[in-house]
Amino acid sequence: MKRSDALMPPAFLIRLNRVWLARRRSSTRSAFPISLAGLAGMVALFVAIPTVYIFLRAAGADADDWQRLLQARIWKLLGNTLLLVGAVTGGALVTGASMAWLTERSDLPGRKIFRWLFALPLAIPAYIGGIVHLALLRPRGGLLPQLLENLLGHPVATPSPLGFWGAAFILTLFTFPYVYLLSGAAFRSLHASLEEAARMLGYRPWQALLFVTLPALRPGLMAGALLVALDILAEYGTVALLRYETFSSAIFVQLSGRYDRSAAAVLSGVLVGLAVFILWAELRMQGQARFTQMESSWRPAPPAPLGKWRIPALLLALGVVFTSLLVPVGVLFAWSVQAFLNPETLQAVFHTGSQGFSSFAWNSLWTSSLAALAAMTLSLPVALFSVRHTSRLSRFIARFCQVGYAIPGVVIGLSLVLLVNRALPFLYATPFVVVIAYVLRHMPQAVRASESALSQLSVTLEEAARTSGRTALQAFGQVTLPLILPGLLAGGALVFLTSLKELPATLLLRPAGFDTLAVRVWVWASDGFYVQAAPAALVLVLASALPLSFLLRREQIFK
Amino acid sequence: MFQNRVTAVLFMLILLLAACTPAVPPAPATVNTPSTNTAPVTGAGDAAVSGDLVIYSGRSEPLIQPVLDAFKVKYPDVVVLLKAGSNSELANALIEEQANPQADLFITTELFTVQSLGQSGIFQSYRPAGVDQIPSEFVGQDNTWVGLTRRARVIMYNTELVAPEDLPTSIFDLTDPKWQGKIAAAGSTNGSMQAQIAAMRQLLGEEETEAWLQGLLDNKVTFFGGHTDVRKAVGAGEFSLGLVNHYYYHLQQAEGSKVGIIYPDQGEDQIGLITNATAAAVVKGAPNEAAAQAFMDFLLSSDGQKLFAELNYEYPLLPGVALHEKVQPLDRFRLAEVDVVQAALETDATFDLIEKLGLP
Repeated sequence: MKRSDALMPPAFLIRLNRVWLARRRSSTRSAFPISLAGLAGMVALFVAIPTVYIFLRAAGADADDWQRLLQARIWKLLGNTLLLVGAVTGGALVTGASMAWLTERSDLPGRKIFRWLFALPLAIPAYIGGIVHLALLRPRGGLLPQLLENLLGHPVATPSPLGFWGAAFILTLFTFPYVYLLSGAAFRSLHASLEEAARMLGYRPWQALLFVTLPALRPGLMAGALLVALDILAEYGTVALLRYETFSSAIFVQLSGRYDRSAAAVLSGVLVGLAVFILWAELRMQGQARFTQMESSWRPAPPAPLGKWRIPALLLALGVVFTSLLVPVGVLFAWSVQAFLNPETLQAVFHTGSQGFSSFAWNSLWTSSLAALAAMTLSLPVALFSVRHTSRLSRFIARFCQVGYAIPGVVIGLSLVLLVNRALPFLYATPFVVVIAYVLRHMPQAVRASESALSQLSVTLEEAARTSGRTALQAFGQVTLPLILPGLLAGGALVFLTSLKELPATLLLRPAGFDTLAVRVWVWASDGFYVQAAPAALVLVLASALPLSFLLRREQIFK
Repeated sequence: MFQNRVTAVLFMLILLLAACTPAVPPAPATVNTPSTNTAPVTGAGDAAVSGDLVIYSGRSEPLIQPVLDAFKVKYPDVVVLLKAGSNSELANALIEEQANPQADLFITTELFTVQSLGQSGIFQSYRPAGVDQIPSEFVGQDNTWVGLTRRARVIMYNTELVAPEDLPTSIFDLTDPKWQGKIAAAGSTNGSMQAQIAAMRQLLGEEETEAWLQGLLDNKVTFFGGHTDVRKAVGAGEFSLGLVNHYYYHLQQAEGSKVGIIYPDQGEDQIGLITNATAAAVVKGAPNEAAAQAFMDFLLSSDGQKLFAELNYEYPLLPGVALHEKVQPLDRFRLAEVDVVQAALETDATFDLIEKLGLP
């Protein structure tokens, strides 16, 4: 049991194909409860409708709209978006994998602490990190250039955080932990004999790393790269802040332009198409790779001595931690203190619109919690159906529930605005639409967590309960549910964490006077009131750190 | 096995059905209904006003907040719920919500948006107390909207970076290569910037406006999301010049920065100072009409107008309300004349131009 635990990738950053491959093909196909199928089907429907709707809107848009967008916008946006996705994915792969090698396979001092420090930037939404770095580095007006000018007596050119390079840099800083966690687990689970064999067959250490270790890590790296790529496609706040135009931010600009939403729908359709393509490409590439390890003789590879590279490696690791964690949190903390010392700002922080700080903190909390609860509940029938009654249909439904990964928040927001207002006008402009958006967007995380929890639970336990006279429902309630609860909760924590950070859909869907922490930070920061935004940002980061640390503690490497 | 297939088929059918139904949205009720309400309602009176008042505001939150606070003092039973955003973002929301109105009141930073929404029948007629004293060009047809304050499009500069003899005198000087990389402005999502482009299209025609915008782009003007960033950047010396509304200069000066103001294009052969106005309108079908009307009355009362003049250095439209002592009266300047109705008809062409040039 212990051993197979170590071989598990982080349960909360779930690989795409693990569940599919690991599923017991032999599981019973006979008793096919139609009610369960119906429930799972309804969940899939619920998840699929907004996507289908936006596609239809895009397809049904005026030929003129398409013409206009094709002529001027789409190609440039496509180039911009793909360039950023490529650069950030590459940057995150290099940073994440090399940091993972340092903490898992080298004798870097303080490895245990670094593991935490490399994972924690996940609690910082990229746009908040972007706000801090922008305030620090802005050409001429930034705090750092000013400091340098005061120290040296003349202006010093510092790299600008605006535009492509800035966006790529900042997004890399805040997405590399995905790759770090997935490749860290992969490094640890790698069999020592693999590299030893390569060395014995005459490979030099770097050859062994390049030709044996890295290829074996491919599934973990690919899964990380996929998460990063989809994240960047969906990213709105950071690119808007740093003024680099991608599809997500262009959709918002369209909504602030002419009085016509079909152009935004067209761009959304293209964006979803792009995301689905990336998802499909990843599935195909990973589908061909097979790596088999013998579990019985597993032993960890000895850490590689860094030797004279110890100090440079330590400095590199510290540099990454400094820019991705210490600087953002430190600056937010300093600003918050500043905000509390200035009575005017303090007044603005605690009293805005007709609400105050506690109201938007509470809004964040309850919408994210409700979304987590709903996603956990909805994921159960889908997971049960696909794990316990594997069939073409059940797999299709489970895959359909993954679609949220590929639908950026801005698209879900736009689609729900249009859809809910027409079909469910009584729900329109209530906070529940915001919750629905969170559930739709983060459903995949819940479904995968539930599937993974269920597939680790032997079906014989349920069968024993049934033989001893329990009904199917009783068996589920008394045996299955208590045993998979930790796994379910992990999924819920992940949904909670990502909902807390969600920005674009909330911006589009929030009713008047309804603010969340993320929206508040964004509104204040985009008006240029950074100090005022800091306390909310700090609370958001701290509130995200709690579920994150719960999730990390479940992982072998953080125990 | 058979059951299995049936379920699959059923499921696909449901999926198909569900996918199709929302695709045929109910056509938005009626667009462009000429207002039959020729005898507009006047003054909500002192009747007790209460409940939620939902305001969509294109004015940024910090600039509208003091007004909301003052209103709440007067009407403690009203809960003001604010959604602030860009003018057209909120206009899009209002159009979307036409059959299912959520907002009671709409406030914009320029007139073209209210004019064009008013023509589409989004607003209801209302004549707030005090509207008779306001110049007629600042009241919409059928009283669908009312202007609140005027503001001028000016150039602010950092006095430490620009010598007096180098100062630009026209917005066309901004395309001079000597300012390359030294100018900040608000981007194309900003209502005041959109309105300036629309005004220039009317004053100068499409080609000259396009040449001017292209000149700004060639001159590497930095476009921010809003004017607060622009004024702070000029105040901090990040940029020499900023294209802003006049009160951003005053707000920055009040923070102690060394900044100056230029009222451009005052020569005989020049276009004159471009101005615009903020406006408010009551949404047709507003859930809380009484509160919306009370708020309109308050906006046009001398108390309300004074707040805009005192706290935000704007030009109140209600006669008799004093300007802030630091603000220069508009009658000292040659003003550009723009026909609001015509400009509202041409908003699409304005957005076409913005898109064509790829203005950030």
